[in-house]
Amino acid sequence: MPVRERETAPAPPVKTRRTNKRRAADIQQLLPLADDAPPSVSLPSQTGAAATRRLWFCVYLPNLPLESCGAGKEPLAVLEDQQGIHRVQLANTAAENAGVMPGQSANAALALIPTLQLEERSTLREQQALESLAAWLEQFSSFVSIAGNDVLLFEVAGSLRLFGGLPALRQQVSAGLEQQGFAASLAIAPTPLSATWLARGGRRACIREPTNLVPKLRSLPLSCLEWPPAISEALTGMGIRNVGDCLRLPREGFARRFGAGRLIELDRALGRLPDPRASWRAPERFCADYEMTGEQSDQELLLAICRELLEAHEQFLLVRQLGTLRINFSFFHLKAPATKLSLGCTQADRSSKRWSDLLTIRFERLALPEPVIAVRLQGGHTQALQTGSGHLPFTGRRHATQRHSMTQLAERLAARMGLQSVNGVTTVAEHRPQHAWCARNLLSAKVSDALSFVRRGLRRPLWLLPEPTLLHAEQGRPLHLGRLTLVEGPERLETGWWDDNGIARDYYTAINSRGMRLWVFRNRNVAAAWYLHGIFG
Amino acid sequence: MRRNSSSTNESLNTLLENPRVWRGRNPAPVQAGLSTGYKKLDRHLPGGGWPQQSLTEILVEQYGIGELQLLMPALSSLSVDDPLAPYAEPGWIAWIAPPFQPYPPALQQWGINLSRLLIVRPKDASEILWSAEQALSSGTCAAVLLWPEKLDDQSSRRLQLAAEKGQSWAVAFRPRSARHEPSAAALRIEVQASQQGICLDVFKSRGGRPVTLHSIFSSISSS
Repeated sequence: MPVRERETAPAPPVKTRRTNKRRAADIQQLLPLADDAPPSVSLPSQTGAAATRRLWFCVYLPNLPLESCGAGKEPLAVLEDQQGIHRVQLANTAAENAGVMPGQSANAALALIPTLQLEERSTLREQQALESLAAWLEQFSSFVSIAGNDVLLFEVAGSLRLFGGLPALRQQVSAGLEQQGFAASLAIAPTPLSATWLARGGRRACIREPTNLVPKLRSLPLSCLEWPPAISEALTGMGIRNVGDCLRLPREGFARRFGAGRLIELDRALGRLPDPRASWRAPERFCADYEMTGEQSDQELLLAICRELLEAHEQFLLVRQLGTLRINFSFFHLKAPATKLSLGCTQADRSSKRWSDLLTIRFERLALPEPVIAVRLQGGHTQALQTGSGHLPFTGRRHATQRHSMTQLAERLAARMGLQSVNGVTTVAEHRPQHAWCARNLLSAKVSDALSFVRRGLRRPLWLLPEPTLLHAEQGRPLHLGRLTLVEGPERLETGWWDDNGIARDYYTAINSRGMRLWVFRNRNVAAAWYLHGIFG
Repeated sequence: MRRNSSSTNESLNTLLENPRVWRGRNPAPVQAGLSTGYKKLDRHLPGGGWPQQSLTEILVEQYGIGELQLLMPALSSLSVDDPLAPYAEPGWIAWIAPPFQPYPPALQQWGINLSRLLIVRPKDASEILWSAEQALSSGTCAAVLLWPEKLDDQSSRRLQLAAEKGQSWAVAFRPRSARHEPSAAALRIEVQASQQGICLDVFKSRGGRPVTLHSIFSSISSS
């Protein structure tokens, strides 16, 4: 910046200090000339500012305390505690028509309208409303910033093409804000500070070129700057009424009197200094509440509410390209503690249809002890979502999404009957028949197509009894629904001595008089007793 | 004599042309079935195999006489990749409420793909039917075997419709006392063991004729 000043200012013929000529040079430097010289290549910062043209969209919400309480036609006033007395800070149109003015005490307002609804001003509520609005604005831009209590900024230069131009984008934003019940003042400018000032000034300005900035800023009143009252009073006392007058003041004197910070602000607004902003991102976890006006115990209505929350959750995940594995529902009651319902999924998913299918199954079995007054949805940990492309219609019935739908089927079955009722199987390299297999959890996150051990050898029965059953013997021959005739065998299995489940058995295949083929064995160590272990299907 | 025979032929022809007479030899168009693996059985079943996309009932009194062995070749053919559809994956086989534990090494010996096996153990009868319907209509299971405690006419119709919707094959195992109960299954077979081997009594077959077959395979041999 100092380099530029030297370039544009006329070089004084005689070097004098604190002369009028120097003063004139100062004045000229505060105000950019009408036709600026093109920035030279040796100034990297200037080139950077010209190369990346940014466009900032500012949303100023003057009535945020009122709007965060909810919209309504009834008279509503927001109270603020000033020196121990509750005074009206803001009142909605219905209340103002009846005569309620900001600054009145609460009693006076109630005397005017007995049915007036009074709300304490809650900065937390306003912050939440601001954050939810910022989350909604994320669909228009990748850079959203919250500046102060009532100002939202987002950068739109990159989104213009997607939304079909600036007027269309502006139209969408204002329509959306109106629909949500926020009366906002919008402004678009090349720098964030100037956009904020213009929005505060109520100008529906749309400035795309930085060169057009100064003429528009000149007529803004000083209240748009929101500087401390001491400074504004001092400026008013000096005869400065608007921002244009401020810009004509000499830089050094201004900085000395009011602080270098104010000078930097002016420079940032005009685009001479960079103005980095912190980007705001909505928190990774989704949490939404639905409060009902009365107590409800109608299942259909509760399910419909839950589905609405699930759709909001899906939208949240869609914007961030995330999926979640778990969703927690909490149903609040007046007197009883909250009932919690947790839904899990093996693959991170965001589709509200899949979650609502699972919810419907679980909801039937849920016993609510009392009527419900509020429902809360909390999304679990999120992770990046892998989505596959769709399939052409003629590739045949069974395609690669079959595994995906098998996990969906397993989830549905497990949702109704419990996780332990649904499983797959795999073989284990073991000689002991009981341990030669193990159950496989189909719903575990890692889908492992592990090679199961292939057994070669004698035939094994298709049915295995969980525990071998003792057979009665008659004259040394085993009996099971008829006398057994040993057909094949013996197969000696003597193994497992390393843990306590060692076996030493002779296995035989036997047929009884009814034609059943059975797998029986006899222990070698203890007294010869026959056991039935399996049935050949 | 000739005149008599020709006149009887003519009267026979006019009789046969009467639309009220149903000629039982007209073959109804039937879908190709899944080959059972046993040629003798294939010949007598309509479509040359198990009826696809419908319910089959197998009535058996004692487990172990070969009722599962009857299905094994067909199930193992479902487990392998279909060479005609290279991008297809073999379908899953679901076992719902089996009476004992299906033994994986034995299943592997019969050639069934263990990574496509699903075993479900519901708690009561309604859950058995519900999970069977879910598995059939989802379209991911190529075959669903279930052991329902009771299966009435309406439930069997629902299973039949679910099998058609999901294009899967359903097999229900029931006791022999269910022979006289009505059912909407496309194929009903009663399995009995005899001295010569397995005796199959196909007493209902949609598109085919009831037949009794003996010694499809010997219960002694293990092929």
